[in-house]
Amino acid sequence: MSAETDTTVPFTEADERRSLRREVAKLASGYGREYFVRQARNGEKTTDLWLDMGKHGYLGVALPEEYGGGGGGIGDLAAVCEELAAQGCPLLMMVVSPAICGTVISRFGTEEQKARWLPSIADGTLTMAFAITEPDAGSNSHDITTTARRDGDGWVLRGRKIYISGVDEAGAVLVVARTEDARTGRLKPALFVVPTDAEGLEYQPIDMEIVSPERQFTLFVDDVRLPADALVGDENAGIAQLFAGLNPERIMAAAFATGIGRFALDKATEYVKGREVFGAPIGAHQGVAHPLAQSKIEIELARLMTQKAAALYDAGDDTGAGEAANMAKYAAGEAACAAADRAVQVHGGNGITTEYGMAGLLVAARATRIAPVSREMILNFVGSHSLGLPKSY
Amino acid sequence: MNIVVCVKYVPDATADRHFEADNTVDRVGVDGLLSELDEYAVEQALQLKEKGDGTDEITVLTVGPEQASDAIRKALQMGADKGVHVVDDAIAGSDSLATSLVLAEAIKKIDHDFVVCGMASTDGAMSVVPAMLAERLGVPQVTFGSQIEMQGKEIRIRRDGDAATEVIGATAPFVLSVTDQSGEARYPSFKGIMAAKKKPVETWSLADLGVEAEKVGLSASWTQVEDTAARPPRSQGEIVTDEDGSGATALAGFLASKKFI
Repeated sequence: MSAETDTTVPFTEADERRSLRREVAKLASGYGREYFVRQARNGEKTTDLWLDMGKHGYLGVALPEEYGGGGGGIGDLAAVCEELAAQGCPLLMMVVSPAICGTVISRFGTEEQKARWLPSIADGTLTMAFAITEPDAGSNSHDITTTARRDGDGWVLRGRKIYISGVDEAGAVLVVARTEDARTGRLKPALFVVPTDAEGLEYQPIDMEIVSPERQFTLFVDDVRLPADALVGDENAGIAQLFAGLNPERIMAAAFATGIGRFALDKATEYVKGREVFGAPIGAHQGVAHPLAQSKIEIELARLMTQKAAALYDAGDDTGAGEAANMAKYAAGEAACAAADRAVQVHGGNGITTEYGMAGLLVAARATRIAPVSREMILNFVGSHSLGLPKSY
Repeated sequence: MNIVVCVKYVPDATADRHFEADNTVDRVGVDGLLSELDEYAVEQALQLKEKGDGTDEITVLTVGPEQASDAIRKALQMGADKGVHVVDDAIAGSDSLATSLVLAEAIKKIDHDFVVCGMASTDGAMSVVPAMLAERLGVPQVTFGSQIEMQGKEIRIRRDGDAATEVIGATAPFVLSVTDQSGEARYPSFKGIMAAKKKPVETWSLADLGVEAEKVGLSASWTQVEDTAARPPRSQGEIVTDEDGSGATALAGFLASKKFI
C-alpha cells in the first residue's frame, strides 16, 4: 500500500460486490430472523449459519488468499455483514473475529502466526474474540491497566476486561495489554493472542437485555503465562497496530447497524402496505410514509459513508479511513435507532408483541449507538480532529 | 468430456411479474436472474466435472437480451468455465421451437460431448426445449433426471413418474435434463465470484450461427400467446367461529361442500 494508491471512491459497487451481496442475502434468508431469534432465546448459538458462511468463503473475504481468505477488502466483508443483518441475522462476531483480529494478524503477525490463526478464522472453524475495554478505563484506552511483563522468553498477563463479546464461542482472545517501555518506563499498548483455555483466564457472562446469540463477558486475566509468540507484531508499534484493527471494526459496526436498519425498515414497509385502516393501507398516509422515507434516506446516506470508509481503508489510506469510518459509524447508529423506533411505531400495538418481533430491534439498534465507540466519543473526535476545536480531556 | 449447460435468464419469481402489450414477458420492469431450475443443471454439470479427470470443460450457453449475461455470470461464479451468449434483437419473442433452433445451432459450434438443461424454465414452464434440442441435434434425450450417474460415456438417470420410477440409460452424445430433486445447487463462493470476472464469455449473433432472422422471433413463432391475465389475489379463507357449540357442524358442512368428506 503506497501513497500513490488510487483512493478515488466510486459511487456504485462493482458487479462482484453486488453478486456477493445477493448470494449472502440468499443464503442468510434460508436461515432468517426466526432462526436467529429462536437460537438467541433458547441460549443457543448461530454456529450453523456461521460455518455455512465460512464454508463459502464469506467470512474470510478480506483475508489474504495464501491463508485461506478471499483476497478481497473490508468493503467486501462489510457487505457480507450488512446483508446478514438485513436478513435479520446480524452476526456480531464478524465485527470481531475476521475484521479486527483477522486484520491485525494479517497485517502485523509473523508468518507462523498467520499460518496458525488465519485459515481457521477465514473458514469460521475458529472464532477469535477481542478484548480492549476495561471497567475503569471505559472509552479511555490510555488508562488500560492490563499489563504484560516479561517472564523469561515469554510473558505474564494480568488484568481485567469487560463487555467482551462471544468469549464462550471463541478459541482465543486478542487481548490489548500494556508493556513497560524499558527506556522511559512508560506503558504502551501491545496485542497478545490468549487461548480461551489458558490457565488463569476466566470469564463470566454479563446478563444483557438484548436478544442475541452472542453473550457479553467479564474477563479475568490472572497471571496468564504466554509464550513469546503470543505477542502480535512489534512491541513498539502497538498503537499503530491497534488503530489498524479499529478502523475495520468501525466500518463493520456501521455495516452491522445499517443492516439492522434495513431489516427494520423492510418489516415496517411490508406492514404498512398490507395493514388497512379507514379503507386504505396505512402507508398511504403521510404521517406514516414520511418517517419511513426519512429512514430510507438516512440509511442510504450511512451506507454510502460506510462504503467510502471501506474504499479508503482498502486503498491503504488509514488516516482518511479513520475520519470516514467514525462518521459512518455515527450515522449508521443514528439511522438504525431511528429506523427501529419508526418501525415499531407504525406497527402500533403489534410493534411490541413477541409475534411481530419488532421491539427486540430497539435494543439491538440502540447498542450500535454505544458500541464499539459511543456516539459521544465520535462527536469528540470530529470536534477536535475534523473541526480543530480544543479538547476537554 | 466437455459439457454444454443451457440456461435461461428469467424474471425473478419472487418479484411482481408482468407482461408487455404484445403478451411477451416484461423483462425491463423487473430484476432478472438465472432460472432457479437451471441452477440444478449447472450443479449436476459441476458434479460430473468434479468426478472426472479434471480435463472437462463446462460451457454455459444462453439465448437472451443483453442483461441475460447475468445468468451466464452466475453459472460461471458457481464454477462453470466459459460462457456463450447468443444475443440478437431478431430473437425477441421467440417460442420454444425458435429458441431450440438457436440453441441447437450454437451447441453445434461448441466442442461438446453432451448437453445439460434444467427441467423447465420458471417463466415459460413449457419443459419441451430439451426434447426439441435432442431432436434437432439428432441425439438421445434423457430427461427429468432426479438422480444422475455417469461412467465413461454411459449415463443412467432415475426418472420419477406418478405411477413408476424409470431408470434410463444412454451413451454420449445426448441431451440431459435434470429436476429440482437432483441435488441442491451450490452457492458461489467468494473466490468463485471473483474468478468469474476473468472467465471468457463470447457473444454471438444470429449471423454467426447462420440462422436467418425470419426463422426466429415473435413473427416466426408457431405458437402465439393470445391473452394474459394476472391470477386473482387469494381470497381470505372462511373463518368458523364457535359461539354456541355449532362450530363443529359448520366445519363439517364446509368440508362436505368442498367434497373433502
